[in-house]
Amino acid sequence: MAFQSRNKFCYFKENGITDIDYKDVKLLRRFVNDQGKIMPRRITGSSAKMHRKLVRAIKRSRSIALMPYVDLGSE
Amino acid sequence: MRYYETLYIVNPNLENEALDITMGEIRSELEKTKSKLINHRVWGKKRLAYQIENQKYGCFILLQFEGGEQNQMNEFNTWMQLHQSVLRHMTVALDAKPEVYVEEEKEKPVEKQVPESTEQESPKDIETTEDVSDKSSDDDIENKEAK
Repeated sequence: MAFQSRNKFCYFKENGITDIDYKDVKLLRRFVNDQGKIMPRRITGSSAKMHRKLVRAIKRSRSIALMPYVDLGSE
Repeated sequence: MRYYETLYIVNPNLENEALDITMGEIRSELEKTKSKLINHRVWGKKRLAYQIENQKYGCFILLQFEGGEQNQMNEFNTWMQLHQSVLRHMTVALDAKPEVYVEEEKEKPVEKQVPESTEQESPKDIETTEDVSDKSSDDDIENKEAK
């Protein structure tokens, strides 16, 4: 187990996700930090192809106010 | 023809009748573009990630259709921007034909979205915990041997 946790893997490839929907906020929340910034690929471990799709989905969901551009915590 | 999806946010203070009227207006405006309507349903009242026109909540409505004439579509876009009770809208091209949404008989209670904490831990934390566990296990073995 200890060995597995050290290995990075693509979340989408592992779960068989091919398309990312911008309305699926629960999924997208995993890939931004507390401030609402998109986490880099070297940390999430997602493949380049899926990361591009992920970024597009997050930016779309920001523009329709489902996700914050900047998350300052409690308002 | 391509398939499109428009998600728009309506003022949450609108009552059911007023909401139906605005949805009807938008439907009739979309018909001018000669596009075929597939789905037009209320997604739900949600908290906005940031305030729009001093509103903290918004009623999200999903509209899926098969695209019509391009010039008319642009006019529809500007018409939506000028609409009073539409706070914001966004049209996205779809890869595949959307399925026709069938309403479930039992309506589920509205759940408030709880922002999930990021589950992924930073690799440093994992390493430190492993080190600690390794050391403790080593200690245990040593203790056992000493006993």
